[in-house]
Amino acid sequence: MPKIKKKGQAGAAKNYITRTQAVKKLQLSLPDFRKLCIWKGIYPREPRNKKKVSKSATASTTFYYTKDIQYLLHEPLLQKFRDQKVLEKKISRALGRGDVSDAARFERHAARPEATGKPRYTLNHVIRERYPTFNDALRDLDDCLSMLFLFANLPSTSAVPAKMIARCERLCLEFQHYLIVSHSLRKSFLSIKGIYYQANIQGEDILWLVPYKFNQRIVGDVDFRIMGTFVEFYMTLLGFVNYRLYSSIGLKYPPKFDQLKDENGAELGAFSLEGVNMATQGETKAVTNGEEQQGPDPKVQAEVDKIIKQLKEDESKSDETAEGDAEADDEEKPTDSIDKFEPVAPGGDVLPQPAYSSNDPSQLFANFTFYLSRETPRQPLEFILRAFGCKRIGWDSVLGEGAFTNDESDPSITHHIIDRPVVQAATNEDGDGEDNQTAQKVGPNQRYPGRIYVQPQWVWDCVNDEELKSPELYAPGAALPPHLSPFVKAAPGQYDPTLPLEAQQTEAEAIEADLEDAEKDGAEEGSDVENDMDVDEAEDDEEEEEGDEEDAEEAEEEDAEEDEEESKTLQRQLELEAELQGKKVQNKKVDPKTKAKLEQRKTLEKKAREEAEDLERAKGMLSKKKRKLFEQMQYTNNKKSAQDEKLRAKRRKLEKEKAQKA
Amino acid sequence: MGPKAIEKKRKVQDPEPESDDEIAPDFDGALSQSEDEFDSDFDDNEHEQDGEQESGSEASDDEDEEGSLLSDDIPSDAEGDKAMGKLVLEDEEEELKIEIPGVDPKRPEKDDGEKNYRIEKDANGNERYVYDEIDPVYDSDDSDAQEAPNTIGNIPMSFYDSYPHIGYDINGKKIMRPATGDALDALLDSIEVPKGWTGLTDIHTGNPLNLNDDELELVRRVQMGMIPNELENPYPETVEYFTGIEEKMPLSAAPEPKRRFLPSKNEAKKIMKLVRAIREGRILPYKPPEEREKEEEEEEQYFDIWQDEVPQEVNPLHIPAPKLPPPGFDMSYNPPAEYLPTKEEREEWEKLDPEEREKEYLPQKYDSLRKVPGYGEVVKERFERCMDLYLAPRVRKNRLNIDPNSLLPKLPSPSELKPFPTVAQTVFRGHDGRVRSVAIDPTGVAVASGGDDGTVRVWELLTGRQVWSVKLSSEEAVNTVRWRPAKDSFILSAAVGEDIYLMVPTHASVTPALDQASRDILSAGFGYATNGQQHGAAPGKEPPAKWARPGAKLEDEGVLIRITVRSTVKVINWHRKGDHFATVSPSGQRSSVAIHTLSKHLTQIPFRKLSGLAQTASFHPLRPLFFVATQRTIRCYDLQKLELVKVVQPGAKWISSFDIHPGGDNLIVGSYDKRLLWHDLDLSIRPYKTMRFHSEAVRQVKYHKGGLPLFADASDDGTLQIFHGKVPNDQLENPTIVPVKVLKGHKVVNKLGVLDMDWHPREPWCVSAGADGTIRLWM
Repeated sequence: MPKIKKKGQAGAAKNYITRTQAVKKLQLSLPDFRKLCIWKGIYPREPRNKKKVSKSATASTTFYYTKDIQYLLHEPLLQKFRDQKVLEKKISRALGRGDVSDAARFERHAARPEATGKPRYTLNHVIRERYPTFNDALRDLDDCLSMLFLFANLPSTSAVPAKMIARCERLCLEFQHYLIVSHSLRKSFLSIKGIYYQANIQGEDILWLVPYKFNQRIVGDVDFRIMGTFVEFYMTLLGFVNYRLYSSIGLKYPPKFDQLKDENGAELGAFSLEGVNMATQGETKAVTNGEEQQGPDPKVQAEVDKIIKQLKEDESKSDETAEGDAEADDEEKPTDSIDKFEPVAPGGDVLPQPAYSSNDPSQLFANFTFYLSRETPRQPLEFILRAFGCKRIGWDSVLGEGAFTNDESDPSITHHIIDRPVVQAATNEDGDGEDNQTAQKVGPNQRYPGRIYVQPQWVWDCVNDEELKSPELYAPGAALPPHLSPFVKAAPGQYDPTLPLEAQQTEAEAIEADLEDAEKDGAEEGSDVENDMDVDEAEDDEEEEEGDEEDAEEAEEEDAEEDEEESKTLQRQLELEAELQGKKVQNKKVDPKTKAKLEQRKTLEKKAREEAEDLERAKGMLSKKKRKLFEQMQYTNNKKSAQDEKLRAKRRKLEKEKAQKA
Repeated sequence: MGPKAIEKKRKVQDPEPESDDEIAPDFDGALSQSEDEFDSDFDDNEHEQDGEQESGSEASDDEDEEGSLLSDDIPSDAEGDKAMGKLVLEDEEEELKIEIPGVDPKRPEKDDGEKNYRIEKDANGNERYVYDEIDPVYDSDDSDAQEAPNTIGNIPMSFYDSYPHIGYDINGKKIMRPATGDALDALLDSIEVPKGWTGLTDIHTGNPLNLNDDELELVRRVQMGMIPNELENPYPETVEYFTGIEEKMPLSAAPEPKRRFLPSKNEAKKIMKLVRAIREGRILPYKPPEEREKEEEEEEQYFDIWQDEVPQEVNPLHIPAPKLPPPGFDMSYNPPAEYLPTKEEREEWEKLDPEEREKEYLPQKYDSLRKVPGYGEVVKERFERCMDLYLAPRVRKNRLNIDPNSLLPKLPSPSELKPFPTVAQTVFRGHDGRVRSVAIDPTGVAVASGGDDGTVRVWELLTGRQVWSVKLSSEEAVNTVRWRPAKDSFILSAAVGEDIYLMVPTHASVTPALDQASRDILSAGFGYATNGQQHGAAPGKEPPAKWARPGAKLEDEGVLIRITVRSTVKVINWHRKGDHFATVSPSGQRSSVAIHTLSKHLTQIPFRKLSGLAQTASFHPLRPLFFVATQRTIRCYDLQKLELVKVVQPGAKWISSFDIHPGGDNLIVGSYDKRLLWHDLDLSIRPYKTMRFHSEAVRQVKYHKGGLPLFADASDDGTLQIFHGKVPNDQLENPTIVPVKVLKGHKVVNKLGVLDMDWHPREPWCVSAGADGTIRLWM
């Protein structure tokens, strides 16, 4: 007889553990358990069959893997939690006794990360465990950066101590410094939620959100203890990531931090980067605006090192080809850089290749000197400009310290970023307004000569398109072109606002639109007086047609045929009547073009109907499972295409309105 | 005024003891009276409390009262009357006697300023001080009340407004209203405000109410919520030097040890240790706060934690948190105009619950960056992300990234599948009630039908003209009509109740020769019938069927033979050669399936016992096989070897009909549970394809017998469905089944739609019999 298996002894019942059980097993309080889970990255699992897992009658909601929890049992942090608990108990007991000095002594020993922003324990081992390699850490950096950048901008409260905020800010600034030096910022996007940045570090795309510099509204049930736990972990993580990143480009970490400058609002400028071995390098100067360049550029150094290394390798390798290194060097020096593939014979497909260094996007703004007007957001602009190679950025002294110049009239300024409306009164007084570039005295609406004035969006659009956009489009007071998200990848069949409407609309839509136009034209020809009414009518027609379309979809083929017949008979009837009355046949005023279009639409509709019927037949042959799947897929596809269609319709309408106005 | 009142008080107090003498005689009795009352009370109490003390009789109690008064006095005094004090407790009875009345006589002594104690001798002859009773002067509080000179009581003073007096004193004399100061007096009063002047008027006397210093202080203290008497603190702080209770008898009489008075050596040692440590600098007694802060501010030590990184294999159970989707065009601060919501969209969005919204934001356009406001939900969104990261169960979902159309099978286009019937060409009207059965004759020119009205009608196929009709029964419906398949005759069979009729209808296409041939075929068996009955069936046993002529009236119409079986016949199916036909009467137990031989007028019952109710039966189109369908299964019998060959299990709950492909290897089954099943007989006993396109039961299924790859089914939902079903010649290939057409036209009457259908023997046409009383020809 086989061994009798008892229920709940094996399988899912053993593999999963409820949260209450887990907490009991670890002998922790729930908040501590939560902390541990957050740090160790343990998350609940969804068992395939909840009934098999839980032994209790009431439905438990959260299950963890038993293995996960077992693995927590050996966590060193667990001991820290328990120690902390003991300490808390001691303090409360001392206070209960009225022994204030004792309590104070205990309190001094207590780690209060929520007060100081610095715990007595370290999360180093957790970082190492969760991210066995550096790339793993980079992959998980999205949330970390979003969180820390948010906290760097938060006001300090009892739940969010000032020190924590200060640390977040420092870490973020340090990270930004790395991005500036390594030119790894790729894209940025001004959204309504804040500014999105995307960087590419060691092949990993990292996307994070920095909210605009406003006081954050804290709405309802936001538990800052939970957020604080995350922040604690993320701070440690970003610290180590920063260290690794800095050391990877030969910089010392942490960089020198100037308290005084920071207090004056220098932000990025409060840090001065130092090389590990010798001294600072080129970028440092740019960042700090004024320090002397003391050492070779690490990049240059790296290049040189590489070349030397290669030379050595070449030497060792080229024993057999001993004809002469010089010749080999000249002719075919093996390099790491990508070779350009150019089609030799016509007819081949052109494959996309990474951009060549000839127009390096990282040096986009290298030759310019920017001046930020005081109404522009300095921090993002400074960061983004520096990250794309700009070395000299000046700004109004209200925006804080660390500017290349505070003098607006500095002649070296090439670009002036301004976000002010054009003051109407001033132009009227002045008369010549913008044209007067040579005016020396600068009034409210006046311009320094030889300078390009742009709105901030210019910077973002330049960066995203990796080319300098024409500044006329972005001139102060001009209606800006739409700012598009650089993160959307164009998918075939999806609506793309950059393409013209004609290139994306379906045949049916095009015909529909043409028909509408034609109708409108006809109406306009008929009477100019009713011009105002036309728009309404057209709209009504649209609606009606939409309704008709729906009906038509429902109706069967026969109906359509009958309709045709009916219309023919009607026509004949009219003709007969006309003959009887001795009048000429009043042909409906139908443009031959419109008629053709109408017919086209009819054929299209018919085709669509046939297709739908075919589809129905084919669907009938599918098994139930497959049919469900198919319907699901089609549902999402239809939804997407409906959205796209809506967008196209809106755009068509807008374009039409614009055309009418013009 | 104040001092006067106090004087008055003293005066009132003073006379009291003097008057005591006068009152004393009266008082004595009153006292004893009160004591009596008290005692009796007490006794009662005792009786109640103590069960031992038995009161003999209530009457004797009163008599005893006087005598027992004294003896009872002691406990009563000790326990009850606190005023008597402890002193009495220890004394003898005699003294007590003196004591009680002696309270009053001793009072004058005290008042005279003499000692308030007496010196007596106690039991040992020592001196003993016996103090006087303390008179607590309980009624001293009433002095205020006594003082009130006005006796009118608590009535509004306004009653006396019209009188010169304001009340009466204790002697009944009028208290005159004091002259209310005229202007001069008022002026004087205002100038020299007497000490303690309050501006109030004593309502009882009418005099201005002045308060002295003590009284003012008292008022002040009351106002401040302090204790009124500053000298008196009812709650002094207890100073407990040792214990609150002074022990009369110490627990230990041992003298205090010396060490209590010496400094501790142990403590001195400890202190010296600390002192030495401090001197040597091992302990810093005081850490400057800056240093401590610095310690706290000390930077975390960062190092290259991934120095010796080893890429680990990813745990397949670990699901990394999904990244948030990147922002789209509509999240831009300056999106293309088409992304902006219209007014209706905005309203709709605002109407929805925040949880139900598809997007948590509405696209908005700002014409310049400086106008972009802060986004209110940043913290909340980030918090929700945090919650998701640590609370949301993660499940890996495989997303099928395929074109949905690739799932669809490749079907030949309907144009390739043509011909098949598409429209109703002719509607045959004439039947009264449902048309139960319909059949096209083997030459394809006539349609026979039978219905609820008990008639069998023959129609011209193409025109729908009725050419022949016969009423077989007035009560029962014609359940089925079937043509004899051979073309050498024009014989129609119909089943009405328990009777099967064989007839030769008249029709334009029927030549007299053909008619005669048909009649000959039918009548050929009459000789056999009599013979067969004689030696075929056992005598006495009822034959399974009776073959007879139906009577002259019907014979004139062309109905030539009536076969009566034991129960209602529902199905007739002919053998392809036309000599045999099988009938099925589902209600007939043993004899539900019968095979009739036309040439011999012979009826046989092939099954002694049948598992399940027979539904329908049919001959194999090519081989000598016979199929019988019961509710769940279809059994195939070999007619030569007389054995069961195969049991087909379509898996349907209740089979309604089945048909065998003219090729002989495939079978379609219709069932009342809405299914149409295709069986490949060589492949499996289970269906090859199951089609569920009907919403109601499938009544009839038929293959096209004339070489076209078509089959159709008729259903109670009023539709016929036409399928293309090609059976390839190659055995290895699977048959292709393609639904091609749904024929709608019949009305559903009483949940019955199309009851029967039949294919044309050559053309892609079919006829259907509907419950609405019509027959339709589809082509």
